[in-house]
Amino acid sequence: MVKLILIVISAVLVNNFVLSRFLGICPFLGVSKKTSTALGMSGAVVFVMTLAAAVTWLVQTYVLKPLDIGYMQTIAFILIIASLVQLVEIILKKFLPSLHAALGIFLPLITTNCAVLGMAVLAIQKNFTFVETVVFGFASSLGFALALVLFTGLREKIDRSNPPKAFKGVAIALITAALLSMAFMGFSGLVKI
Amino acid sequence: MNILKAKFKIHGGVHPKYRKELARDEETKRLPLPDILRISTTQHLGAPSKPVVKKGDYVKKYQLLAEAAGFISAPVHSPASGTIKDIVTGTGASGAPVTEIILETNNTSDAELTGVYPTDEWQKLSPETILNRIREAGVVGAGGAGFPTYVKLSPPPDKKIETLIINGAECEPYLTADYRLMLEHPECLIAGIQIICKVLNVTEAYIAIEDNKPEAIELLSKYLEDKKIENIKVSTLPTYYPQGAEKQQIYSITGREVPSGGLPADVGVLVENTGTTVAIYNAVIKDLPFIERTTTVSGYGIETPSNVIAPIGTPYQELIDFCGGAKDDVKKIISGGPMMGFAQATAETTTTKTTSGLLLLTAKEISQFESSPCISCGRCIAACPMNLMPAELSQFCEAEDFESAAANRVMDCMECGCCAFSCPAHRPLVQHFRTAKAFLRAQPKK
Amino acid sequence: MIETVLTIIEPYLPIIKTVFAITCIGFGCSFALAIAAKFFEVKDDPRIGEVNELLPGANCGACGYAGCMDYAKAVVMDDAELNRCAPGGADLTATLAEYLGKTAEAAEKQVAIVLCMGTNDAAKCRFEYNGIADCRAAHLVGGGDKACTYGCLGYSSCATVCPTQAIEMVDGVAKVHPELCISCGKCVTACPRNLIKLVPEKNTVHILCSSNDKGPIVRKVCTKGCIGCTMCVKLTKEEESVFMDGFLAKIDYSKEVQNKVIVEKCPPKCIIDTTINN
Repeated sequence: MVKLILIVISAVLVNNFVLSRFLGICPFLGVSKKTSTALGMSGAVVFVMTLAAAVTWLVQTYVLKPLDIGYMQTIAFILIIASLVQLVEIILKKFLPSLHAALGIFLPLITTNCAVLGMAVLAIQKNFTFVETVVFGFASSLGFALALVLFTGLREKIDRSNPPKAFKGVAIALITAALLSMAFMGFSGLVKI
Repeated sequence: MNILKAKFKIHGGVHPKYRKELARDEETKRLPLPDILRISTTQHLGAPSKPVVKKGDYVKKYQLLAEAAGFISAPVHSPASGTIKDIVTGTGASGAPVTEIILETNNTSDAELTGVYPTDEWQKLSPETILNRIREAGVVGAGGAGFPTYVKLSPPPDKKIETLIINGAECEPYLTADYRLMLEHPECLIAGIQIICKVLNVTEAYIAIEDNKPEAIELLSKYLEDKKIENIKVSTLPTYYPQGAEKQQIYSITGREVPSGGLPADVGVLVENTGTTVAIYNAVIKDLPFIERTTTVSGYGIETPSNVIAPIGTPYQELIDFCGGAKDDVKKIISGGPMMGFAQATAETTTTKTTSGLLLLTAKEISQFESSPCISCGRCIAACPMNLMPAELSQFCEAEDFESAAANRVMDCMECGCCAFSCPAHRPLVQHFRTAKAFLRAQPKK
Repeated sequence: MIETVLTIIEPYLPIIKTVFAITCIGFGCSFALAIAAKFFEVKDDPRIGEVNELLPGANCGACGYAGCMDYAKAVVMDDAELNRCAPGGADLTATLAEYLGKTAEAAEKQVAIVLCMGTNDAAKCRFEYNGIADCRAAHLVGGGDKACTYGCLGYSSCATVCPTQAIEMVDGVAKVHPELCISCGKCVTACPRNLIKLVPEKNTVHILCSSNDKGPIVRKVCTKGCIGCTMCVKLTKEEESVFMDGFLAKIDYSKEVQNKVIVEKCPPKCIIDTTINN
């Protein structure tokens, strides 16, 4: 139990996927313009990551390991993640068409979101059990959501203010991301997992 | 004693320089009838009244000039006998175009209609008759907004009014018209309150006065004591702006909060201005229409600051001349109080039923700065009596994100000006909110 | 026989195993997706996406729909008119008609024009305004600082909303560059004084004043304002292309002004011919 809590703290704060590991930067910059879209994206990522964690662990343990084809890990995982993303897209299109339109290209791009693959590979490397892997996947996606929503809030505020011309747009967004990342550095060393 | 101290302290508020000493001890004087009166048909909130006279008509004093056009509207009466010279489109105090009836007065008193059915035994009148008299007299809120009093006194049947508050706070700097009214005509005020109490069947009434007017507090409480009136009490409020704002005053005295977007009637309270109460007295007891009001002419830019009774439709220039004329260093003319009043482009604008003050301000009394970006100091948030976040809101407005502004309750802003007053960056916050509110009001309701 | 085959493929077994395993995973996934797709099916006309591709993608809203995608949907599903897209113009209408196999008449190309000539030296100001530099805000402060209650305030609200930067502030009055205008109509709604109108591009003669005040009042506040002398109406009597609306002369944009002498004859010179003046 303690380990699970530590995994959560580690994945959300200490080794935040976006701000400490620098994975999943593409949607982090791409869909951080409006809070509502950012929340939708976060939801999609939470869904994909948690499910991907479970499925990849099962595939790794029961397919790849017995067959001794661990080197096919990346390809097998990408396959699974891509299918999950497609599933999310189908579901969103059916139930939340407006969010589907707002996320646009960034939804299929979760496929190549290195945070998802990184999470799956890391979980295998760290020899997590099934439950630990699922918790790790869920916590990692929460960390992603936290970073995304925080950053969106900051960006919305910056959009309304008037930075020097040279900094307008993406430039000031990158600086903000860097500052946010540095702030999260403050958590480093809190837990060791 | 019948003096109550206000129990609750509202959030926010500011302490501007009051400068009430300029005109507070000046006894109210009556302005000699001007030769030309330009009477606006938009003296109240709601639909402008419809003129019932034509060019060339001869009208007598108190005669109806324009009738109410709709439920939220009020009639306008002639303040003097004379000839209608023309009906034109002019500019109101707020700068919006208004229809003006130009009246050439002949200063004869022979044609005067005195009150038709004056009665001192008003107690015998039924509430319907009283309400009718108030409506026909064209009484509107004299505090500034000009909401028709008749409508205010007819709350929906499901909302029972329990408490009446008479607003004598006069929290706007400079203005002393209501103060003088309380000092000079306490009997009219008290009778007016009793009339409202009868109409609404209310037993509990408070006269709210800021504690920087001890003379008025003392005089009124003594008057009430002498007359053995028990249901009316004087309530003293700490002095700060905007103590006279309806919702803030209700909270200070009763501790009840008017819900966002709601009316005082929702919490069983009704607030009337002192000037309005006296107008109600005139309408019911003397059966006189609302044709004149006390206006404070003040500021360092006028020779002799005074409180003047002037007929509605008096051009500001007449008032200025009557008070000794303007000094050379006048920078700004404001109709109303300095916090919420309207700056005037010309002295040709005329007084209405809501003109509580006319201020001639010199350079040292006004602030004119270039505005700079928000430094997020939060002073406006501390000052906002409506618990809004002006800094945040103004940024929404600047980015024309009016939807977010509405989500953050910009419509609750009463434009009191506390935020802009306290802003060290001199940001035109209130103007932002006015623009946003105008935009949102123009949007079709969903 | 079988043994021979086995010996031949033996070194390749790991590859076959891998291919088989991954293929199985792939099949598993696609099977799950197929079921999901069947389950959560959304009926979608593929033409919507293709029509959307044809549209300019400006999302200006001139068609009256919320963006290009919305208009594409309306065109395909609800038989919306094909000539609503102002930026696309006649060419797009033709392309859409061809694509959908319909016939459509191209809408006339329109451009925005600011009906005011009250530049800083022509029009007087009533007071000094130092509030927000936005026409809507300025208009709320005592009706704006321009003495003329109809004239352009010059705080460039229209230029701010213009998606193509077609509006420039020249000497305190907004001016539309017709070649850049996509007639989306955003400026028309942004102007608090309703000075901007969309007019057919082929009309070149315009009366640039919106003041409905009587002549003497107009003269007092602006040297370029229409004084209601009706000279232009008289000069174009036969063609009836100019008419009086109260105290203001207006062009009837359904007709073309033939007698261009009115440009010269107008006493306050508020009639212009864009072919000459530009």
